[in-house]
Amino acid sequence: MKCDWVKENILLYVYNELPDDARYELEQHLPRCTDCTAELKSSRKFHALLSELPVEEPSPNLVAASRMRLQEALETTKQGSFWHRLIFDPAAWLRQVRFAPALAAAIFIVGFAGGIATTYKLVGGSGSVSSMISGTPSQPAESSITGIQSISQEPGSNQVTIKYNTVSTQETQGSLNDQRIQQLLLFAARNNYNSGVRMDSVDLLTQQPNDTHVREALVYALRYDSNPGVRLKALDGLGAYVKSDPRVRDAVLEALMNDANPGVRTEALHLLDPVRADSSVRAVLQRLAENDQNQYIKAQARNMLAQLPEFD
Amino acid sequence: MAGQGLGRIDDTVLVREAQRGNRAAFEELVRHYDQAVLRLAMHLTGSEHEAQDIYQDAFLKAYKSVGNFRFECSFYTWIYRIVTNLCLDHLRKKQVRKEDAPVATDPTGEQYDVLEQVPDGRAGANPERDLMRRELGTRISSALEKLTPRERMVFELKHYHGLKLRTVGEVLNTTEETAKNTLFRATQKLRGALADMR
Ligand SMILES: [Zn+2]
Repeated sequence: MKCDWVKENILLYVYNELPDDARYELEQHLPRCTDCTAELKSSRKFHALLSELPVEEPSPNLVAASRMRLQEALETTKQGSFWHRLIFDPAAWLRQVRFAPALAAAIFIVGFAGGIATTYKLVGGSGSVSSMISGTPSQPAESSITGIQSISQEPGSNQVTIKYNTVSTQETQGSLNDQRIQQLLLFAARNNYNSGVRMDSVDLLTQQPNDTHVREALVYALRYDSNPGVRLKALDGLGAYVKSDPRVRDAVLEALMNDANPGVRTEALHLLDPVRADSSVRAVLQRLAENDQNQYIKAQARNMLAQLPEFD
Repeated sequence: MAGQGLGRIDDTVLVREAQRGNRAAFEELVRHYDQAVLRLAMHLTGSEHEAQDIYQDAFLKAYKSVGNFRFECSFYTWIYRIVTNLCLDHLRKKQVRKEDAPVATDPTGEQYDVLEQVPDGRAGANPERDLMRRELGTRISSALEKLTPRERMVFELKHYHGLKLRTVGEVLNTTEETAKNTLFRATQKLRGALADMR
């Protein structure tokens, strides 16, 4: 009777799916029953046998190629019904920025405060969407930032002045370590229409790449910013982390393979030199050395590969 | 894969943006899930090429229909539903092709499937060392292929990708209980097929 129950549940036990009380009961029974112990052993063996068929991680090449192919298809794909029911004009919305202000505002609040509930509402009449973020009334940027006008750093200090628009333009000052200032910088890096402002904010952010949010914003700029100068700045700030942070390494690899700008690609290649023995880096270098369009990058990739010790 | 790391942009925010037509937000969502999708599709199909096709179809479908997503389940479950449906279609087609495949008779009079005799073309870097492992892999793969598409999918998600049975049920639009029974069935079949290897 008991043994039947155990045998029915042993698979779930092996897969860690038994509720606590059932697991306890089963574990009480096992030491007292050789049959069930043998059954457990055989289930474990079977589990291990099946695991001999490995689950492989997709190579960075495959991931990058798949993303690129998808992006191309998305360019020409229309979204479904919901899209057309929207009351505002989506084309105008897209023209504004590559990443919408409502999202950016939500991102940095979520990023810093962690899990604050966000709600959106449509603002009637004007036909634009604004975000309302509840909670933390002390945040200067909370509900209605529409853009960052300018950013400047006092020479020889870490004081930063940021002009940002809410309904009307406002100004705030503070140290680079000030969370409020950091939020505005992160906002500007992701979000501003003016590439000069994005450049300034990315530049300032690179002074504190230890902060994970900052690093994320830099990775974001490297991936998405339309201005190569901004991408290059972001790359510089990330360079020190290709060794320790795999996400940074992936982003730099991606830039090396896919960036439209040869300067950004070249810089990415140089940054990856210290980790050239890494298998994902090596795979990309091999591909570039074989058939990259850019002769300089092709030759450099060959050089870097030549300096690697032979193994495998 | 899901939910890791500090400061990761919340899916809900990205989904809402994607629903407003923000493509960058959609692409960010893709990045949250696409490696897991490729991993699953590669293991199921045994082919990078086919995995890439499933990837493409799945995310295009998600993009077109994200407007209909109503937050009744997590986005993770939703995207996995799309992917597993495509994979199930793929497995079903493959099964039909196998049934139509030429069947030959070997000298002992037993029928065997001609397609199964074709080597899979993935050359190992170290043939001697890899030989045993590859033979084992081939045996396991062909045992897995004998499962029904649904059994295969449940086993795949549970054993190889470590999803909880409750999640497996959600993804496959069924109950945890049904997923559990399907897992039992699949396991029994596999143990039968691989009995001589233990
Ligand atoms: Zn017993």
